[in-house]
Amino acid sequence: MTQRRFKTAYFVIPAVVFMIAVYALPLAGVALQSVTDADGGSWSLAGYRDIFSSTLFYKVAWSTFTISLLSTTVSLSLAFPLAYFLSKQRPKVRAVLMIFVLVPFWTSVLVKAFAFTILLGQSGIINDALAFFGLGPLPLLFNKAGVIVGMSHFLIPFMVFPILTSLMAQPPELRRAASIMGAGRLRIFFRITLPLCLPGIMTGTLLVLILSLGFFVVPALLGGRQDMMLSNLVDFYTRETLNWQAASTLAVILFSFAMIVAYTLARVPGGSSLLGGQDR
Amino acid sequence: MSADPQANRLLKGAAFAVLAFLVLPSLIVVPISFGDTHEMVFPPPSLSLDLYRQYFGDPQWLAATWLSVRVAIWTTLISLLLGIPAAYGLVRGRFPGKRLVAMFLLSPIMVPSVVIALGLYIYFVRIGLSHGELRLVLGLTVVTMPFVIVTATAGLQNVDPNLEKAATVMGAGPFTVLFRVTLPLLKPAIVGGSLFAFLMSFDEVVIAWFITRAGYETLPIKMFSSIQWEISPVLAAVSSLLMLFSVVVCVLVVVTRRNEPQQ
Repeated sequence: MTQRRFKTAYFVIPAVVFMIAVYALPLAGVALQSVTDADGGSWSLAGYRDIFSSTLFYKVAWSTFTISLLSTTVSLSLAFPLAYFLSKQRPKVRAVLMIFVLVPFWTSVLVKAFAFTILLGQSGIINDALAFFGLGPLPLLFNKAGVIVGMSHFLIPFMVFPILTSLMAQPPELRRAASIMGAGRLRIFFRITLPLCLPGIMTGTLLVLILSLGFFVVPALLGGRQDMMLSNLVDFYTRETLNWQAASTLAVILFSFAMIVAYTLARVPGGSSLLGGQDR
Repeated sequence: MSADPQANRLLKGAAFAVLAFLVLPSLIVVPISFGDTHEMVFPPPSLSLDLYRQYFGDPQWLAATWLSVRVAIWTTLISLLLGIPAAYGLVRGRFPGKRLVAMFLLSPIMVPSVVIALGLYIYFVRIGLSHGELRLVLGLTVVTMPFVIVTATAGLQNVDPNLEKAATVMGAGPFTVLFRVTLPLLKPAIVGGSLFAFLMSFDEVVIAWFITRAGYETLPIKMFSSIQWEISPVLAAVSSLLMLFSVVVCVLVVVTRRNEPQQ
């Protein structure tokens, strides 16, 4: 039996070899590039020195954080009521309503970005409608507002899934028992439902935070020049200034941020299943 | 539930507002795709198929689409070929460092794509890999394979290991067990996983944007630069087709899940 177990383990080898060759080595290359000078020769911390003394970096890092936190907050506050409502529906109704969450989830981010440029633009649908009522055009596109609308739209499903899962996992008897013992609706919600789904909320929030730190398409298409995020700055250094060292340094910094959040996520009960943990 | 219809109505209103926000983009892109070729107006004053004709008559858009289809097929095949055995090994095997291996194989889900993209860009230059299509296939497999592993792992946890044990007792080797017992039982998970892997690869932007070479424009890259530089109405037709494609994939997955014996 142990013999067979051991042979079963061999099945992971091809995937591991592939991922070392096409994923681990490139990542290691980025880390290496960030500490070697542009010619690829000698060791140098010039990349980090340049980045940490560039005002552009601080501006972009700051807008990455504010945009990420804002869109995470917006998606949480929109996703929670939706998840709560869905959890209270009969399974048939819920299945139908879930289509409206799943289809946007599987729709290309480019389709959404394109749709939002039509919706939010200077002569877009929303501003046309406002003009009809004699209201001035609102600046909704190529600024922070556009980025946050676009990102929240993308992120809401990622927030709905874990929250809905943890709401559905709560035994309804708990709420019934509390109600029999005289607890009111609000009390039940705040003392039972909400605390029990905190792991789901935490998982959703951290997952969405990781995703939003790495956004590229939405800020590039719906944001203005000031709304560049770290991913876009990596692209800028790679493509415009051909400065691989600066680009790699930034990538290492972005990677570290994402891993800090991912590590926190792994500490959340049930959160590690997203990272390949087996505890579900 | 009990009492307070007002709070219920408020919750319902909020939930439907969010659902409306989620489907809004799809709802406006489709009508516009049946509109005029010169100007995007909503709602379009007259309906026509001109934008679709423009898309299907434009060799550049078609070439980008075919490239994306070819790359997605290869990416899906490689992800299945490597990912399903890996999931099997992770679920059924017992070996030191298993958790670490699982974390490594699934980690691309958590790493920002731009980091992977930059890594591959520099790496491909260093090792001198200049084949445009091969670059895309290898790079996109990095993001689709973890997904296949997740789906197959979930599916495997529903397959009773006793069935495999019975086959082993009766003298089947590990490959026979995998191909004759486990894989047939895993079929719904495999079909679902490969449909989603295909869709993911087909829609991927960031990695493709970094590692592609001149002349290898995938559909998402063409859309990305087209939205960035000149928002052409033909994008509405392309977007609608992509959305239709996503809906078809979702429906197919739901249908295959329904035929699943357990559940």
